[in-house]
Amino acid sequence: MSRWRYFFKRLLLSVPVLFLVMTFIFVLLRMGPVDPVAARLGPEASGAEAARMRERLGLNDPLWEQYLDFITDLLTLDLGKSWVIYGDMEVTRIISFAGPPTLWLGFWAILLPLFIGIPLGFYAGLRPNSGGDYIASVGGILWQAMPNFWLSIILLAALRKTKGGGWFGFDWYTLGPDIRSITGTPELAFATASGIDWGTLASDIKLILPPALVLGSASMAAELRIGRTAILETINSNYVETAKAKGLTNRVIIWKHVFRNALIPLVPVITNEAFLLIGGSVIVEYLFNINGLGKIFFQATVQGDLPLAGALLFIFTVVIILLNILQDFLYTIIDPRVGYER
Amino acid sequence: MSVRASFEPNETTDESRSLRERVADNPGPARFWLLGTAVLVALEFGRYMGWAQQLVGAVKYVIGLVGLIPTWIGDSVGEATVPIVSYFVSDAITLVLLFGIAVLVTRFTSWSAVDQFDLGLSDRLVRFLERAVLTVVLATIAVLFAFTPVGGLVNGAIDGVFNTLSSIPTLTSREVISNQGHRTPGGGWDGTFLGLSPAVAWGIRTLLVYGYALTMIVWTWKGYTIFREHYRKADWTPRDDTLRRFRTHYWGLFGLIVVLMFIVTALWAPAISPTTADQNIASPYEYEIEYLNDDGDVVTTTPGQANLNSQSNGQNTIGPMSYDDYDRWSPLGTTSSGQNLLTHIAYGAQTSLVIGLLAIGLGGLIAVTMSMLTAYYKGIVDILTVITSDTIISIPAFLLVMMLSVIFNQGNHPIAEPLNGGLLLGLIFAFVYWPGMWRTIRGPSLQVAEEEWVDAARSYGQTPVNTMRKHMAPYIAGYIMIYGSLLLGGIIISTAALSFLGLGIEGSTPEWGRLINDGRSFVGTSSWHVATIPGLMIVLVVTAFNALGDGLRDAIDPEADTGGTDDTGTAAAGGGG
Repeated sequence: MSRWRYFFKRLLLSVPVLFLVMTFIFVLLRMGPVDPVAARLGPEASGAEAARMRERLGLNDPLWEQYLDFITDLLTLDLGKSWVIYGDMEVTRIISFAGPPTLWLGFWAILLPLFIGIPLGFYAGLRPNSGGDYIASVGGILWQAMPNFWLSIILLAALRKTKGGGWFGFDWYTLGPDIRSITGTPELAFATASGIDWGTLASDIKLILPPALVLGSASMAAELRIGRTAILETINSNYVETAKAKGLTNRVIIWKHVFRNALIPLVPVITNEAFLLIGGSVIVEYLFNINGLGKIFFQATVQGDLPLAGALLFIFTVVIILLNILQDFLYTIIDPRVGYER
Repeated sequence: MSVRASFEPNETTDESRSLRERVADNPGPARFWLLGTAVLVALEFGRYMGWAQQLVGAVKYVIGLVGLIPTWIGDSVGEATVPIVSYFVSDAITLVLLFGIAVLVTRFTSWSAVDQFDLGLSDRLVRFLERAVLTVVLATIAVLFAFTPVGGLVNGAIDGVFNTLSSIPTLTSREVISNQGHRTPGGGWDGTFLGLSPAVAWGIRTLLVYGYALTMIVWTWKGYTIFREHYRKADWTPRDDTLRRFRTHYWGLFGLIVVLMFIVTALWAPAISPTTADQNIASPYEYEIEYLNDDGDVVTTTPGQANLNSQSNGQNTIGPMSYDDYDRWSPLGTTSSGQNLLTHIAYGAQTSLVIGLLAIGLGGLIAVTMSMLTAYYKGIVDILTVITSDTIISIPAFLLVMMLSVIFNQGNHPIAEPLNGGLLLGLIFAFVYWPGMWRTIRGPSLQVAEEEWVDAARSYGQTPVNTMRKHMAPYIAGYIMIYGSLLLGGIIISTAALSFLGLGIEGSTPEWGRLINDGRSFVGTSSWHVATIPGLMIVLVVTAFNALGDGLRDAIDPEADTGGTDDTGTAAAGGGG
């Protein structure tokens, strides 16, 4: 089977997946054990008001009609309205103001591990079985096993301790740009009409660094481990032997022949990070008080704002499906070995 | 003449006598080992009976739940059509369920009417008739239990027997080595084991628990070596190599030791915690404790009252390895509501373990079944499974778990009740994670389906189910163990994260994540231990499960580690691939 046929098959498969996801959300919201009217009006709601609400929400229509309406609405990106936490606000509007902080967080949560995890992994791989290797490897394993929420509260406590000196000899509050609180939503107003406002940018970055470090922790550890293995594998391969035999300097061997090849297995790891980020953003945004999509999803589920939660879940899923297609596309271009039959 | 009958003589040749016969020929080593096992079991007999009682309770719950299915389906059908239909539907579904049980029973018992009587009918028909008869018998028993006092009587008898048996004191029971007592005005201790201080008494009991568990494990290993030396047919099996590889894999061994300690902590939670969860957490106002007050008098109070004055909340701290004002020993300090932290940790280990095992067991079962079916039949089954698993995988797992748990808990669904939502959480994890497991074992199962022995079994007339069970599934089991071990760590983290957010496990069931939430505001204060210790426990246990998974992978499938280096040295540091 040719590569492109494989790709189009994957593309075609994502259509039923999308419909199944929508059906699943519909079943959860309309046929699950939570009554939409009770969720909206409180459990004691009854009588005329409840009946009116029932009619207004279209719950008296036959199920298949509700289902069709639901699917059409989702497909036309008419995501409905929030019930509880943003009374009657359009979900699309909520996304327009909560999306940017989440994207900002995600951007840094991918960038930080890249610039910490991969160099550390390569460092460990180039010095196998040395003290530095052991420290980096064990550190990576522990780092991966740490739950994000625990890491967050420990990090927050440590940063709060630095106020006015403290343990580490620096004060996070006054280090670099001043911020009033170490948690909060970045304003993201640095790109003004008159160019970039560097002060705002700096404080936005400072605000996002701790949560991004936590959110990226798992990927950082994964990149470290895989980077280390990749280096070990390439360094023992025949073409590196050949390069050595040719008399190339170590510097050229490492930069030209080892690094570039070791980066290949890291590509899927990096694209896979999106999955971790979307799940992890709930806890990190909640703990660092960032008003992004994750925190709003958390509030929506806890307070029974099911249409908002369902719509956000749908959006996240669509993002993941699109990323999957992108990944398959990249594979198709990069790796000629891929095939449908394993 | 069936295929099975024609090969029967082969099974009784000298080469393949049953284990029982081989033991009968040389009973010495087996007798020695069984004697030791009997002594070990007798030491903790009451506790084992307690576990059996809980197991019976769980089975009863499942039976009750399955019993609800017919009426539930019947009612929904009745709602859509005429109410009278609901009775027929529910009766029909009951019969179908019972017939399914009959099929399972006949499949797993060796007795069969086909072999015993020659009725002149086809084997298939006899088998069907046999199952139908069994269904009727089962239905009669079910009716007897549900509508006559017999059910209540049998239930009471079972409960009574187990209650008596499980109250037998054991080596590690709290009554034998008690650490709950109080100071006397003279300076000694009253009510504790041999008058020792509670700390020492608790230490002795904890050491006994781990020592006993260690002995049990060593004895089991001894049993395996005895079996291997004296009773196994083959001199060598591939499993020997797997074990040999695992024994030199220090990173994996570290994981195994910590995982075993975690399991022992969960199983012996009542013995390891200085006080029971019921007394300290669930109903602290229904018990009484004595203590020596500042005036030198021994007075009585309730644990609830004592908890209020032993909180670790920043201002007031009962740290690790200390006593509170009520002469109660707290090896890990107290929580922000004054409860014993170690009690929370030990019982919380139980919660995590039950959820994890339920999720892995059920999810693994689904994954293995689906992988067998898709690898054997391919085609449309495969495509449908790919679509279903892709759907579940593309919904972000943690968000899906959150939403499902909230929806079922808010809807007050009956399934959210056991373990305060623990059962529900286990089922949700199984649903969310089976596609991942299926994907991991898809490759190996496709491979094994292409093997010649599978083809041979097929052409030889084996039924598909038997082919999958005997010739394909054993090959997959190792892979599911590896992935299950790696996944268990993830499930422990997710459970803790959910209860940290106040979702999932609710109420009085102890959970590690809730402890971290409790101590969240005090990390920077003198009560640092409340959030730090459970967090470190999670890190340790999750690391251990990851290490065990790495060790299992290197032991079961050494080819999978493409690192190209000797796996023992590097794996000890970096965990292999």
